[in-house]
Amino acid sequence: MKTVWTQKGFLIPAGALLIAILLPIFASEYALHIAVLVLLYAYLSTAWNVLGGYAGQHSLGHSLFLGIGAYTSTFLFTKIGLTPWVGMWIGALLAGLVGWFVGYLCFRYGLKGPYFALVTIAIAEAMVSLTNNINFIGGAMGLEVKWLGNSPLLMQFESKAGYYYIALVMLVIALWLVYWLSRQRFGYHLIAVRENEDAAEALGVDTLRVKIQASILSAFLTALGGTFFAQYFTYINPRNVFGEGPSIQILLFAIVGGLGTVWGPAVGALVLVPIAELARGWLGGSFAGAHLLLYGTVMVLVMLFMPKGIIGLYESIRQRLKRGSSAPEEERTPA
Amino acid sequence: MSMLTVSNLSRYFGGLAAVVDMSFTVEKGEIVGLIGPNGAGKTTVFNMLSGFIPPTSGEIIYQGRRMNGLKPHQICELGVTRTFQVVQPFPDMTVLENTMIGAYVRHPNTTDAKRKALETLERVDLDAKADKLGRDLTLLELKRLEIGKALASEPDLLLLDEAAAGLKDTEIEDILTLIRQLNREGMTLLIVEHLMKVIMNLSHRIIVLDFGKMIAEGTPQEISQHPAVLEAYLGKDE
Ligand SMILES: Nc1ncnc2c1ncn2[C@@H]1O[C@H](COP(=O)(O)OP(=O)(O)OP(=O)(O)O)[C@@H](O)[C@H]1O
Ligand SMILES: [Mg+2]
Repeated sequence: MKTVWTQKGFLIPAGALLIAILLPIFASEYALHIAVLVLLYAYLSTAWNVLGGYAGQHSLGHSLFLGIGAYTSTFLFTKIGLTPWVGMWIGALLAGLVGWFVGYLCFRYGLKGPYFALVTIAIAEAMVSLTNNINFIGGAMGLEVKWLGNSPLLMQFESKAGYYYIALVMLVIALWLVYWLSRQRFGYHLIAVRENEDAAEALGVDTLRVKIQASILSAFLTALGGTFFAQYFTYINPRNVFGEGPSIQILLFAIVGGLGTVWGPAVGALVLVPIAELARGWLGGSFAGAHLLLYGTVMVLVMLFMPKGIIGLYESIRQRLKRGSSAPEEERTPA
Repeated sequence: MSMLTVSNLSRYFGGLAAVVDMSFTVEKGEIVGLIGPNGAGKTTVFNMLSGFIPPTSGEIIYQGRRMNGLKPHQICELGVTRTFQVVQPFPDMTVLENTMIGAYVRHPNTTDAKRKALETLERVDLDAKADKLGRDLTLLELKRLEIGKALASEPDLLLLDEAAAGLKDTEIEDILTLIRQLNREGMTLLIVEHLMKVIMNLSHRIIVLDFGKMIAEGTPQEISQHPAVLEAYLGKDE
């Protein structure tokens, strides 16, 4: 019997996974750092894609959930010593609750497109102001994850390889989850909602519930990434987790890679993160914000020349090759 | 008890009376035609029956259950599915996936939904196009898909809004055959149609709307001789 793992479509991902598993053996610490960033952003972007790409509800404020994950686990760790391995689930549940609330608020009242996007920006910005003014979570100074030595049980590692493997596992699980969902009724409902809400409703799709569920799932997954973010960078403050920076990056990778596709966000992050990091390294000192300029330029170019992202381009090339090599179809007889 | 009982249904858009005090029933197993000149309020009736817009006043009872206030997806689950006059495909999904959305209503499992969708596509003669994207279809294919999506949800009462509009004679013939066949299998239909020959041919009973008001109801023979109907259509090139 043919299982998914022996199908041709899985050769590339399986190969990529093998390389990814072996990478720490020969990569330098700096290369590994970039690899961790690739995995983290691929993961976050994949989580965003559930709501933004599949359901077509473009949240521009996903840092809200990143921040909730980061702050919850870090607060619990620094104040009561709770391991981030447990804290991350509490943060994710909290984010899921907020995801439900935001989703309910926006979708119940029919907010769509740019209006939904603006509200998500506003809520995330409000969280920046709010956390800036709450002193027991560090106010504008933020929180530091205290270094207690190499301790896997506290999600702290001497070498980057430890973080690398955690991020890799998170990404693989997220990709598998999205792949699986995209073949379930829920996955098809997400796309139907994006493609034509009236038609979906008329065919028995509870579009409000589907959108809220997407919002909850996306928030939950994003918050798990938030805990990892805090553990890896060991320092968080309101602006760097709740601010617009992470929100934009998360969505950029999905757009460049291909919205509403399983692999798009990961491919987008794989292509863009190294370029941006290298550019930051070369130009950073003399030209602050160079990577942001780069992101902006790439975004405009992609939207102009490949609106369906890298995956869309790959698919259309593949289709063309297939059509070229197989027997000509009946197609295109003049009417 | 009638399958569908509509009493004193009205809908106003600001000062515009789109539907006024309309009462009618649909019996199980019937094909009922709803006709009227442009802007008479036919689509507005469908929008109310399917839960897309709330009535200003009046009541809709389906199988003994009050439908006012239900959402479209709930009404579909209860067994009433509508099609749209302006076709509403999911452009970035394949014809098969489009139809699966309908099939999921009765078959939550993807394998079953796919099987049901393929079956349905055969009925509307789109099985050969199953892998085409919604955005790449011709008008005829879109019209067929519109019916296919709705059929896949296995409705007891199907509301068709101008399913044959814009099609050629032979294509219309196909749709007539399909509708008759569905009816023979037990499906009840309420159909809106501009084309007189279609409606006269199919309907057991016809309801005529003019400026939102019901001006006549009867068999095709009765309607074709009804003075008020003749007047409403007088000078119209139908
Ligand atoms: N959402 C709306 N807002 C305002 N006016 C509307 C709305 N929907 C319909 N109308 C008006 O209500 C009246 C009835 O429209 P409706 O679409 O129901 O007619 P119809 O009988 O389906 O016409 P056609 O044969 O052209 O499809 C028209 O005057 C139309 O302009
Ligand atoms: Mg109409």
